[in-house]
Amino acid sequence: MLQCIFLLSDSGEVLLEKQLTGHRVDRAICDWLWDQILTQGESLKLVPVIASPTHYLFQVVREGITFLACTQVEMPPLMAIEFLCRVADVLSNYLDGLNEDVIKDNFVIVYELLDEMIDNGFPLTTEPNILREMLAPPNIVSKVLSIVTGSTSNVSNTLPGATASCVPWRKTDLKHATNEVYVDLVEEMDATINRDGNLVKCEIYGEVQVNSNLSGLPDLTLSFANPSIFNDVSFHPCVRLRPWEANQILSFVPPDGQFTLMSYRVMKLKSTPIYSIDNIAVQFRLPPCVASSDLSSNYGAVNVLVDKTCSWTIGRMPKDKAPSMSGTLVLETGMERLHVFPTFQVGFRIMGVALSGLKIDKLDLKNPLSRPHKGFRALTRGGEFQVRS
Amino acid sequence: MLTQFGATAESLSKASTMVFRIGTDAHLYDDPDDVSIAPLLDSKFESEKCEALKRLLALIAQGFDVSNYFPQVVKNVASQSLEVKKLVYLYLLHYAEKRPNEALLSINYFQKDLGDPNPLVRAWALRTMAGIRLHAIASLVLVAVGKCARDPSVYVRKCAAIALPKLHDLRLEEHTAAIEEIVGMLLKDNSPGVVGASASAFASICPNNFSLIGRNYKRLCEILPDVEEWGQIVLIGILLRYAIAKHGLVRESLMLSFDDRGIQSPEKDDPDSDLTVRKPFNGASFDVCTEIADIVARSYLEGPDKYLARLGHVNQDSIGLDGSCITSAKSNDDVKILLQCTSPLLWSYNSAVVLAAAGVHWIMAPKEDIRKIVKPLLFLLRSAGSSKYVVLCNIQVFAKAMPSLFSPYYEDFFISSSDSYRTKTLKLEILSTIATKTSISSIFLEFQDHVRDPDRRFAADTVAAIGLCAQKLPDVANTCLEALLYLALSESSNNVVALMGEEEILLVQVIKSIMAIIKQDPHSHERVIVHLVRSLDSMSAPAARAMVIWMLGEYCNIGVLTSKMIPTIFKYLAQCFHSESVETKLQIVNACVKVLLRAKVEDMSELRLAISYVLELAKCDLNYDVRDRARVLKNFLSHCKGFNYLEEVDNRTEFNDLTYVFAEYLFGGTKKVPSESFSYRFYLPGSLSQIVLHAAPGYEPLPEPCSFSDDETGHSPTNVHNDHESNEIDDSDEISGSLDEENTSDYSSGSVSGEGGDSYIASDSGEDEEAGTLIHLSDDAPDSRDHDRVSVNNSSSGLMDSGELMSKRALESWLNENSGSGQNSSNLSHVQRSLARISIKDIGQLVKPKSYTLLDPPNGNGLSVIYRYSSEVSKVSTELACIHVSFSNNSEEPMCNIFLAEEKPIPSPDSSEKSGSPSESVLVSHDKEATLIPMEEIDRLNPGQTADRVLQVRFEHHLLPLKLVLSCDGRKQQVKLRPDIGYFIKPLPMDIESFLKKESQLPGMFENIRRCTFSEHLNQQNDRDEPPQKDIFLMICEKLALKMLSNANLHLVSVDMPVAANLDDLSGICLRLSGEILKNSIPCLVTLTLKGTCAEPLEVSVKMNCEETVFGLNLLNRIVNFLAEPTQ
Repeated sequence: MLQCIFLLSDSGEVLLEKQLTGHRVDRAICDWLWDQILTQGESLKLVPVIASPTHYLFQVVREGITFLACTQVEMPPLMAIEFLCRVADVLSNYLDGLNEDVIKDNFVIVYELLDEMIDNGFPLTTEPNILREMLAPPNIVSKVLSIVTGSTSNVSNTLPGATASCVPWRKTDLKHATNEVYVDLVEEMDATINRDGNLVKCEIYGEVQVNSNLSGLPDLTLSFANPSIFNDVSFHPCVRLRPWEANQILSFVPPDGQFTLMSYRVMKLKSTPIYSIDNIAVQFRLPPCVASSDLSSNYGAVNVLVDKTCSWTIGRMPKDKAPSMSGTLVLETGMERLHVFPTFQVGFRIMGVALSGLKIDKLDLKNPLSRPHKGFRALTRGGEFQVRS
Repeated sequence: MLTQFGATAESLSKASTMVFRIGTDAHLYDDPDDVSIAPLLDSKFESEKCEALKRLLALIAQGFDVSNYFPQVVKNVASQSLEVKKLVYLYLLHYAEKRPNEALLSINYFQKDLGDPNPLVRAWALRTMAGIRLHAIASLVLVAVGKCARDPSVYVRKCAAIALPKLHDLRLEEHTAAIEEIVGMLLKDNSPGVVGASASAFASICPNNFSLIGRNYKRLCEILPDVEEWGQIVLIGILLRYAIAKHGLVRESLMLSFDDRGIQSPEKDDPDSDLTVRKPFNGASFDVCTEIADIVARSYLEGPDKYLARLGHVNQDSIGLDGSCITSAKSNDDVKILLQCTSPLLWSYNSAVVLAAAGVHWIMAPKEDIRKIVKPLLFLLRSAGSSKYVVLCNIQVFAKAMPSLFSPYYEDFFISSSDSYRTKTLKLEILSTIATKTSISSIFLEFQDHVRDPDRRFAADTVAAIGLCAQKLPDVANTCLEALLYLALSESSNNVVALMGEEEILLVQVIKSIMAIIKQDPHSHERVIVHLVRSLDSMSAPAARAMVIWMLGEYCNIGVLTSKMIPTIFKYLAQCFHSESVETKLQIVNACVKVLLRAKVEDMSELRLAISYVLELAKCDLNYDVRDRARVLKNFLSHCKGFNYLEEVDNRTEFNDLTYVFAEYLFGGTKKVPSESFSYRFYLPGSLSQIVLHAAPGYEPLPEPCSFSDDETGHSPTNVHNDHESNEIDDSDEISGSLDEENTSDYSSGSVSGEGGDSYIASDSGEDEEAGTLIHLSDDAPDSRDHDRVSVNNSSSGLMDSGELMSKRALESWLNENSGSGQNSSNLSHVQRSLARISIKDIGQLVKPKSYTLLDPPNGNGLSVIYRYSSEVSKVSTELACIHVSFSNNSEEPMCNIFLAEEKPIPSPDSSEKSGSPSESVLVSHDKEATLIPMEEIDRLNPGQTADRVLQVRFEHHLLPLKLVLSCDGRKQQVKLRPDIGYFIKPLPMDIESFLKKESQLPGMFENIRRCTFSEHLNQQNDRDEPPQKDIFLMICEKLALKMLSNANLHLVSVDMPVAANLDDLSGICLRLSGEILKNSIPCLVTLTLKGTCAEPLEVSVKMNCEETVFGLNLLNRIVNFLAEPTQ
């Protein structure tokens, strides 16, 4: 079980510590970790499990903040990692993003959240909807109020009813003036094009995101026109697994608000007509042996950073010409030719299209109080879209 | 309308966090101590308390120690505001272990909160109370947990389950059974949320108590999909362990694939085998690397360390894998249901759940069904980015044991540029494990791309992977070799000038891989060696050169081409020998010998010339290794040279020279070295140990198959050896040790050291000669022959009564109903032997309460103030303690207007205060100020005169001193009144029967015992001439009684003496005293029992039975302290 959680800034400063069990962890462990990062390089930040001389460390880095957890005994490492990710998600959601300042500014809420999310090293309440009911997120109203009256409490006085219900992810007595539910297909295209220009891999990773604002206890069923295209799936806990096993139908009582109902992977792609691609951007890193560079493009903006990261923002594809980038690279002295080549990371966005070809058949609502407003959207982005050179 | 407002509010809030940070706690984090926190904590306003607590929290966050605020923070537990409560709890949990005694003060509030109608308040109280982790309150917590485990609120029950491990951490033997019982109860709970939490409690408290699981196994399996994700992870592991302990391994599973080979899979003869037609499979479709699978299986069962240690010597079949402990997934319902219930979890969005479920299938599922886990695992690589590395580590093991599982999905292991370095290397390793004839070409194409990756370390790893693939699939060895050779040549030519350290890695690895491939079949790769040797000149990396030269020497006789070029090569080597690195030089020298031993070279003379030149150079080398090596080898060669001459004409009949044998032995043989370096350490899938590759503390392999059967009532199978356990015990020992230390030291700083500082005036009026008359032997225990029976009756009737007479007080109402019965028998009731009851009369006259100095003459300009607690009870209010205060004027001049009053709320900075404990320095007045009944002013006090006043004070707190202001002649002086918990009670007269009855009603958590030594009687003995034996008994009883009564306002109920005891043996003397708490009239029963002899310090065990546990504990501590300290 976890013994302690630290939040570290990107410069290694301990923003806060939360001891979880009787076996206290000294914050010197953070110094140890930071020394290791300094000597072994930043890549250590990407190692999720580290055995230090005294503790096993788990770390997840999000937007520059390191979430560090320590234990001294055997426990499932993924449990720690998933939990840290969940903490990062919840905090980021509460605080509108993560950075050093926002955590310092709201350290009390962070403490209160951590205290509710984990008890004695074992996760207690991690469901975002329930947390929101127990601890109000900071917002301008409460802030103004706190200035005017000098006091408000973000701690709820009552236990959310959902903790007792059989659908713990949902508030019990919800009332919405407008009954509406939106389903978005958000897909990411992963592709690898090798040095010979051949397509090595092309697949879609997608998520079905639902935004539900429904009163009462709605029971939804969502079915797809072509569920057979799914290669892999995983579901939000609200999805009942039996109907899926039997008929590949998603039957669920949704949490309130935005959540990811399922994620999936489609590996065999059918050609889908594409109308407009925008937000095109190419990113790559110049090889270390390049001493200097002078790159320019006939369309869009090129930007080279100090760490040799180069980004080329194209935006929407122009009709009249093919965008191209050219320039000179100066190699370090002694090098005759470039023998290592970067990989280009391509980003883009296609609105209105799910490239996997996935189609939603229908969304039904059992026990509706009034006919809800339903909406569907689709979007495809570049995921791990890589072109090797 | 509303939503619109919300939208603007949100966007505004973004702006405000960016620019103004208004309304946040930013200023609190940045400057937590820019205001004085102490007064805020005592503020009347919740908001100010809140701010103070937030500031403290900020200091904690930044790593400052603010435990000195503890007493003040604790007071705020009583706050009605949930936010204040929450903040206090956060603070409390952070420091409770540091300040155990003050933490105890909060217990009563928790107990009150535990009865709160709001489940949130109950849950918080329980969580915090259990989180304090003090041995002293363990039994209280246990009762609270037991009660909360039956709470109507799911949330509270869940918190109760999580609180159990906290309790278990304290390692109190006497509670183990009760804790496990609660675990069992919670596992039966209807709510999945509670079951999940209790599964985690089970896993950390009694992971091998399979009988708890056995009762609920089916239900647990069924409820599993509804349990919360975190609980699922743990519960899956528990169910797996149970299934193995109960039913053993599954015959068709991977764990027994090693046996399969011998048995020739029984399914083949199975008439039902046509059922498996649904998926046609042949042996190859799930071919298992049996050797590794066997190691995996044994490692899972025994732990790799044990397994490896045994590996060398004993026949491997020792554990678990014999036929008796085998079941079948097809016929065994328990196994079937486990597999059924875990398979939908492979769709979980929590990667830990997926991996845990996959682990069950890996171990328990028939081999052909294991493939079910493959796709979900692979999907995790994309859907759960942070878990990628850990998932890959586990896949790596699966792939090693069963490459065919993953080989169709090789594309999923293709490397993405966004992967971390470790992920990349893992993927490479997996790829080289699962590569097959069909996939290898695509894999190679990928590898070729990676070779040109800017990260050279990774490129080198790719090259290593190519080498591994080529060794594994001899068909492609040639292709690999070609590619590698090309790479080697281009690499070496490319970097003639600029060879950075990083570039070297790649070339060295290329040569290494080539070497490994050639090793497998040197004869067919002669051309490659020639190529490499030819490009030797352009290679600059010493390690690469050394390896090429090694190959040259090793394979100098494999073909015509090599033989031809050897003389030229050695001329070249002779030429550049001086500029080589040590590593290369050594290899050159070695190669010389090998060539002379083996090579079939036509032009030997030229070669010998070159070689002797090289050896000459080497003999004079700067490096002594090279020099030594050259000398030794030169010696060899003096023989070999001759051998070489003659070999052309004659056979080697007479050359059995020793040195030749050596040379032949060292350089001749082409020894087969096992090439595969292989990690044989396997730990259970999903475990931390598998990632760090050593057994983390607490790691347990699978239980011994079939070690548990239902009729077995005992708990754990015999093989359960628990590192974790012993670890924890050590820890807890440490903790308890330090706790005890703190206990005593803190209390002494609270009360005892106070006395040391203030002068202590005890009056020893000569009462001793009257001792005889004071003590009467009474026939209270009437028929002295029936003592035994009587006393037994007493105690047993008490036992019987307890069930009926359980008082239904506030605390009781939430305590569980049968708490009394279990822990009823108090230790001391057994001690009774034949007893004589004596009564000590008129002892009250001898009681002289201890006096303390409030002000001594030097500090008070000649005024001295002495106070002592009086046994009187205030007429005004029961909550007031009466204190006699004597003011005496020791100066030459009269004093006027002497007056004691409460201190004003605004505290003066009293850093100069000579107080010992830090808690006092931060202590300021409380909003519910301890009230002082206004004292009658002393108008005038003449020199030498003494005036007495009675002060009636209500102490808010029974441990913290009260600050008063003493005014005299208009001057004000701060003085401190120390509370004496011994006088917060009043005597409660009762007879022995009602005492015993009451005592029996206060068992278990209401009962606390501490031991101390009492040595005062020794001084007395020394002082006086030997008094008669009888008197020693009486004298000691009287001494003890006096000591008790002089220090605490108690009623002496009885003094029991053992009659049949050895004359010198004081053991069994028992004093009973009773009192009731002033505030709420709750009785406190004190029992002292002695052990030891007259001549040595007595061991006194002090037992306190009191419903108000915390008060009781504090009073107990006080008694122990004053008993141990000598009377002056």
